[in-house]
Amino acid sequence: MAAQLQFRNVTLGYDRHPAVHHLTGDVARGALLAVIGPNGAGKSTLLRGLVGILKPLSGSISLDGLDARDIAYLPQTADIDRSFPISVFDFVGTGLWRATGFFGGIGKAQREKIARALSAVGLSGFENRTIGTLSGGQMQRLLFARVMLQDARMILLDEPFNAIDSRTAADLLLLVKRWHAEGRTVAAALHDMEMVRINFPETLLLARGPVAWGPTSEVLTPENLLVAMRMCEAFDDSAAACVDDPPLQAA
Amino acid sequence: MSLSAALVAPFTDFEFMRRALAAVIALSLGGAPIGVFLMLRRMSLVGDAMAHAILPGAAIGFLLYGLNLLAMILGGLIAGFLVAILAGVVTRSTGLKEDASLATFYLASLALGVTIVSVKGTNIDLLHVLFGDILAMDDQTLLVVAFNATITLVVLAVVYRPLVIESVDPLFLRTVSRAGTPAHLAFLALVVINLVSGFQALGTLLAVGLMILPAGIARFWSRHITGMICVAVLSAILSGYAGLVLSFQTRIPSGPAIILVAAVLYIASVLFGSVGGVVRQLFPGRHLEA
Amino acid sequence: MRRLWLILFAVAIVANPLHAEDRLKVVASFSILGDIVKNVGGDRVDVTTLVGPNSDVHVYAPAPSDAKKVTDAGLLVINGLGLEGWLPRLVQSAGGKATIVTASNGIAPLKLGSQADPHAWQSVVNAKIYVANIRDGLIASDPEDTAVFRTNAERYLAELDGLDAEVRAAIAKIPPERRKVISTHDAFGYFAATYGLEFVAPIGVSTESEPSARDIATLIQQIKADKIPAVFLENLSDDRLIRRIAAETGARVGGTLYSDSLTDEKGPAPTYIALVRHNIKALTSALGS
Repeated sequence: MAAQLQFRNVTLGYDRHPAVHHLTGDVARGALLAVIGPNGAGKSTLLRGLVGILKPLSGSISLDGLDARDIAYLPQTADIDRSFPISVFDFVGTGLWRATGFFGGIGKAQREKIARALSAVGLSGFENRTIGTLSGGQMQRLLFARVMLQDARMILLDEPFNAIDSRTAADLLLLVKRWHAEGRTVAAALHDMEMVRINFPETLLLARGPVAWGPTSEVLTPENLLVAMRMCEAFDDSAAACVDDPPLQAA
Repeated sequence: MSLSAALVAPFTDFEFMRRALAAVIALSLGGAPIGVFLMLRRMSLVGDAMAHAILPGAAIGFLLYGLNLLAMILGGLIAGFLVAILAGVVTRSTGLKEDASLATFYLASLALGVTIVSVKGTNIDLLHVLFGDILAMDDQTLLVVAFNATITLVVLAVVYRPLVIESVDPLFLRTVSRAGTPAHLAFLALVVINLVSGFQALGTLLAVGLMILPAGIARFWSRHITGMICVAVLSAILSGYAGLVLSFQTRIPSGPAIILVAAVLYIASVLFGSVGGVVRQLFPGRHLEA
Repeated sequence: MRRLWLILFAVAIVANPLHAEDRLKVVASFSILGDIVKNVGGDRVDVTTLVGPNSDVHVYAPAPSDAKKVTDAGLLVINGLGLEGWLPRLVQSAGGKATIVTASNGIAPLKLGSQADPHAWQSVVNAKIYVANIRDGLIASDPEDTAVFRTNAERYLAELDGLDAEVRAAIAKIPPERRKVISTHDAFGYFAATYGLEFVAPIGVSTESEPSARDIATLIQQIKADKIPAVFLENLSDDRLIRRIAAETGARVGGTLYSDSLTDEKGPAPTYIALVRHNIKALTSALGS
């Protein structure tokens, strides 16, 4: 299968300290990948590197020709101004940016798309509410609806089910599966190992560097998990400059 | 004197009053929408900062051409743009927030301006000369104000969507489009143009006041940004009109009169506004069925 | 031989050019006063001015170099009558041992609103009182040069007498019904009172205050009713307001009048006498029929 993403000895980090150290591997087109690891393992950093917000400290990430508009990104803590006077409808509608650009009108077809997206996440009837009146879970569903409208080839989700009740999580997971069925490449950073075991065929176990990468059943073994737990979370201020280690192999 | 005479006569009898009213309407059309965005992006104090930031530009114009208004305005515009854009770029590329970035640049700019003026050896308060009075609208100034309102409305129409998205969810815009930074810079440019031309036509109090107060008023009457912009423009025009009448019937100077009317409207909005007004909060009425 | 050296030495001390540096250091608050002090003190005084030419004395913000000037001064000449609101604090913080001479001492001030009108120098008659006060102040601080000061003062007073006569003659040539003028701010009260020319202004004393719409409307009506022929600009403020009033009333824009400061050497009013002459010329050419 063709590779959608290629990591070539990538190191991502902050202030020269590596948060993801020497990652090499491929993500196939249409894959459904879970990125899992303890706190501080570099999951968010990896996703930010994929979106392009963070430039690699070394190495390269190749996106097989995808540009920014083909990627939908759902960050962990969005810097959204909830006090801004915008309605749910208009907010979700911004997901159609690719189609409308600066001036494109929101015609009947688009309105229907928006309505469908809202109902897919269970927010029908919320169109005229301002976003400040939504609960945390409703806000997260709203962001999912926006991702739907973006109609992107690659979807990156950073801990999308945090602080959500299990019923909502189950509904949203169905959406994720639908996207996978539509042939989109989906990568999600997650905490819940049971959810990963059941729903995600491929897993990358991260502990500031790759520990294991491959089919979920092979990756989520007790031995691998032990290695990941022993990861050191803090940056070492006295660390020397890194001489290239032989990169750890991914499956 | 009949009420209609009091409200209409000043404008039919005196040309300077008609011009003042025209200027206030133009300023409201351009400045009030900008003010709404400023308020939503927590940049309400940028007006005062900008009033000082333009000094070195005006000072250089003064140094080269003496008390030539056009030279000083152009200089002021350039200085204002530089400060706004530099502050914007620094905010975007470093962790420094908008307010600190702007504050550092405008203070440096002000100090530079004072230094330049002192080189010429005179203490003349350039800003005082630069800042005009709404009752002194000559043809040239009216044109400038009208032109500025037109440009503002046109540019705002173009950058409206990215500006809104960038205000509510900047990370999202960054990931889907490269329009975020240009839209922000265009907005900053509009702010500078409105402020500088507002200052030289009407003085600081009016230029900044008619931007920010109507935005504050609008907050209490609408939940959606388009509604807020409409309320802001209307309340700015109303304040301008009532303020001019007030200045005519009493001896209050015109700039302060307009702002005082706007302030009264603001207080009324805080108390009785339909969105978050104090009275509404204290007496919400019976709750709904569903 | 030794005596010869002693005599030469004594002569050298007396004739020593360093002796000239013992000139009295005088600080004048603004350019017009500075000019008057120079005329009375001649080369026996070393005059520095705080608010220089083309600067606004009402809203001046002193710099540290000004404090230094005040500290080193032997005599400080101020206008008084509330003109230099920024001065008391400067003097207090600068310290020094300067004696303060208020040039307007002895002048009965006119009122402007609720406060005194400080522009007393606009009447040449008052300027002569300024000269007398300054002369006496110089003499008190530097008694050795009394003769020089008296001679200079007498000469300057004679010039001022001539100037006063010039002004009266010029005004006399203007037809009485046209002796009315609009100017930007109320700086010419004393001129008006002494020479019989009526000045009306939309703004009060200081360059800081802002007129109300009513003030402008009243002014316009008055100009139309009294058929005031000319409006005059000022060198220090925004002239758009006055031009607007002129446009709406049909009055002529008569040129610029200098009120609160001299111009630099290249300008039309580098000295007090030049200033008065320029003003009267502008007035007569605009108001004369």
